[in-house]
Amino acid sequence: MNHMRALLVFLAFAVCASAHVGTADVYVDGAAGPYPLFVTVRPPKVIPGVADVLIRTSAPDVTGIRIAPTPLTGAGANHPPTPDVMQQSKQDPKFFTGNLWIMATGSWRVVAEVEGARGKGVFSIPVPAVATKVTTMNAGMGAVLFALMLILIVGIVSIAGAGVRESQLAPGIEPPAANRRKGRIVMAATAVLVVSLVYFGNSWWTAEAKAYSNNIYRPLNAVVTVDGSRLTLSLANTVTATRRRFDDFMAERQVDDFIPDHGHLMHLYLIRWPAMDRVWHLHPEMTGSGIFTQNLPEMPAGEYRLYGDVVHSSGFPETVVATIRTNGVSGMPLAGDDAAGTGPGVSEGPANSSVSNLGGGWKMVWDRGTTPLRVNEATQFEFHLEDASGNRASDLQMYMGMPGHAAFVKTDGSVFAHVHPSGSAAMPALALANPGENPHANMPGMNMTADSMSSVSFPWGFPSAGEYRIIVQLKRGGAVQTGMFNAKVE
Amino acid sequence: MANSATFSTPAATPALGKSQVQARALEEATAVPWYIWCAVAAVTSAMVGAHWDISWHRSIGRDAFLTPAHIAIYLCGILAGLSCGYLILATTFRKTSDLRAMSVKMWGFRGPLGAFISAWGGVAMIASAPFDNWWHNAYGLDVKVLSPPHVVLITGVFAVEMGTLMLILSFMNRSRGALKKTLEWLFLYLGAMILVLMLILTFEYCFRSLYHSALFYRVMAMALPSVIAGVGYASGRRWACTASAAIYMAFMLALCWILPAFPAQPKLGPVYHEVHQFIPPPFPLLLIVPAFALDFLRWKTGSWARWKQAVAGGAAFLGALWMVQWPFGDFLMSPAARNWIFGSGFFDYLTRPESPYFNNLFFRIEKTPGEFWSGMAWALAFAILTTWIGLAWGAWMRRVQR
Repeated sequence: MNHMRALLVFLAFAVCASAHVGTADVYVDGAAGPYPLFVTVRPPKVIPGVADVLIRTSAPDVTGIRIAPTPLTGAGANHPPTPDVMQQSKQDPKFFTGNLWIMATGSWRVVAEVEGARGKGVFSIPVPAVATKVTTMNAGMGAVLFALMLILIVGIVSIAGAGVRESQLAPGIEPPAANRRKGRIVMAATAVLVVSLVYFGNSWWTAEAKAYSNNIYRPLNAVVTVDGSRLTLSLANTVTATRRRFDDFMAERQVDDFIPDHGHLMHLYLIRWPAMDRVWHLHPEMTGSGIFTQNLPEMPAGEYRLYGDVVHSSGFPETVVATIRTNGVSGMPLAGDDAAGTGPGVSEGPANSSVSNLGGGWKMVWDRGTTPLRVNEATQFEFHLEDASGNRASDLQMYMGMPGHAAFVKTDGSVFAHVHPSGSAAMPALALANPGENPHANMPGMNMTADSMSSVSFPWGFPSAGEYRIIVQLKRGGAVQTGMFNAKVE
Repeated sequence: MANSATFSTPAATPALGKSQVQARALEEATAVPWYIWCAVAAVTSAMVGAHWDISWHRSIGRDAFLTPAHIAIYLCGILAGLSCGYLILATTFRKTSDLRAMSVKMWGFRGPLGAFISAWGGVAMIASAPFDNWWHNAYGLDVKVLSPPHVVLITGVFAVEMGTLMLILSFMNRSRGALKKTLEWLFLYLGAMILVLMLILTFEYCFRSLYHSALFYRVMAMALPSVIAGVGYASGRRWACTASAAIYMAFMLALCWILPAFPAQPKLGPVYHEVHQFIPPPFPLLLIVPAFALDFLRWKTGSWARWKQAVAGGAAFLGALWMVQWPFGDFLMSPAARNWIFGSGFFDYLTRPESPYFNNLFFRIEKTPGEFWSGMAWALAFAILTTWIGLAWGAWMRRVQR
């Protein structure tokens, strides 16, 4: 199989959002000084727009939280606006809510200043902000505005006629026939003028709407080729500047400014589709501007979805998406941090599962409890390993500097999120948002004793109802263990 | 406030008809009626509110429906609606109304033409509110003056101003003595407010970094001469254009000096500059000079054909503006202008530190001398055309009776 086996393909799911696919919400587990925080940021769907911020703390002595947005990098990062005071829930004093204006597309952070009995603490959450929604006018609003427009058009035409017909007449004089005729001519001319202006206005509106559509987030374009066992992803930015909007962030994205995310410029999930029974977590090398290459492992024939995570130097993360079809790849052995996993097809098992068999009697267990999974609910997804006797492993190891990695994939392909125990924010962005801080310092999401780690949890929330596959990778005994779970979200 | 009793019908002379009696009552009045003051207050409120709102967006950023600036703008609609609604309803349904003989008829209603124009403006302002709200939800909060819903709002305010101008005009053209003098000043004041509005519409072209570009002169030639020449010609006063431009400058200077006296802090990011007070508008354009040139020429060329007056007036306007605004741009860029008087040291929180404006540099809009002179030629053509329109409009306004 030395000749080209497959060649392909493409991308662009209309529902894509930055950093991940199908969701722009950010879930982060961190700490502001001594105060643990579980933060959810829901960026606006139009930019400029309002982001919702929800913070839960486990500390009982937090008395107040203030939040402010700034760009993650650049001159604006140094001057936050006056912070907003978050509302503390009266029923649940450990829960705070607030909202912030995000004024431009790009890489932002929300700075949270926490006050409590143990002094002040600060924690920043990176937030990629992009427009993801096109709104059309509903019929009711359209009818009201159309009616008002008609009133205004008829009104100004009538006023023009009245002005010419009567405004220069002496008091008490009825308009003569000549004035009436002149009035009718002016009304006709005014009608033509006003309709022309409305036509111009409509053209202007159309141009603005087109410029806005151009600003709707689209991930970098990825063209994928497979030559033998060599995979190549060529990234390109196909968005052109419009110069009509406040910013042209989308058009200004580069394909050669990526920064390492726990040691790699790209984290690529290769998932057999639609069964999702085979998965590889690979790390292509950048061999040219926007060109990533990777030796593929042995792969059976079929269709595969590719989700590649990259992070720009601004801290703005993106997931490029592509699909390949192959007649089979003879492949090469996995190397370095690359890892593979196998499991039952997503449609073979139950819609909800909490145990994934790993072989040799070992299994990965999702401590999911009995609470139904709900849309947009910030949740800690906790997992552990246990042997055939049900003994819980307490010797989990770090995998690429993290206690674990999880991918949440919706079975229709509309959602993909690569999540760590610290949350869904990209680690380099988290480091940029908290300069001088070690984002691993508190190792959020781990249940760790003095010299052991027995479970790992991932903070995240499902963006929409449906069936999901959760792919979890934990490391023990030098080997990466990949568990696969099904989840049905109401 | 003046009172409507001033216009009560005097003892009727048997030889006069009812409408003539009503007309004479108005001509013999000595006080400005309350609804004119109300309409003038409406226009003033809108112009103060508009600049306050712009300053709010440049200093604080975030706003809500009921900010003081928005209330001032919407107060325009309320006050104009009050005065025009009264005028139209009273004229239509009170058969003895003094204004009935001096009204125009539209859709079965009667009233001064200005009242109908202002009412139309009020409806346009109301229509712009849901449109603007939808626009923000669909395309995000716009951070610019010129968007379709904003243009509808500005058109509405413009109509309220034009309506008020026509209302004053119809009284002014029929009155005598001290009342006429007062109305003439109110008319010039309205002309100044229309100038303020035109310069809000072209706000993005009024910053000092553009004073050495043909684009600035082209935009000003399109926006200003018709207003200055029209108001000046309709007024009939010797230095009407100059007075109106002087009122515009005084109004803007007051805003430039008062707004920064109040504290403000940005509530939106990115904050490229720390802001501690309301950011004032740019120092007013030195319109008094080109307006003086128009006044001077108006009296020297009064007997000429209109198109000849327009050629001379348009050229004089553009030349005078160029002569004063170009070197004044250099001055505003200098350290000497970075004080509270000229305000060159104020930058809104969104001004990027690398921008030419922040670094006191002129924008290079035209890349070659050919582009510049071509732009200036267009500016001259526009100045002549808009001066002609202003003269024709002014001549029409002088005959307005209702």
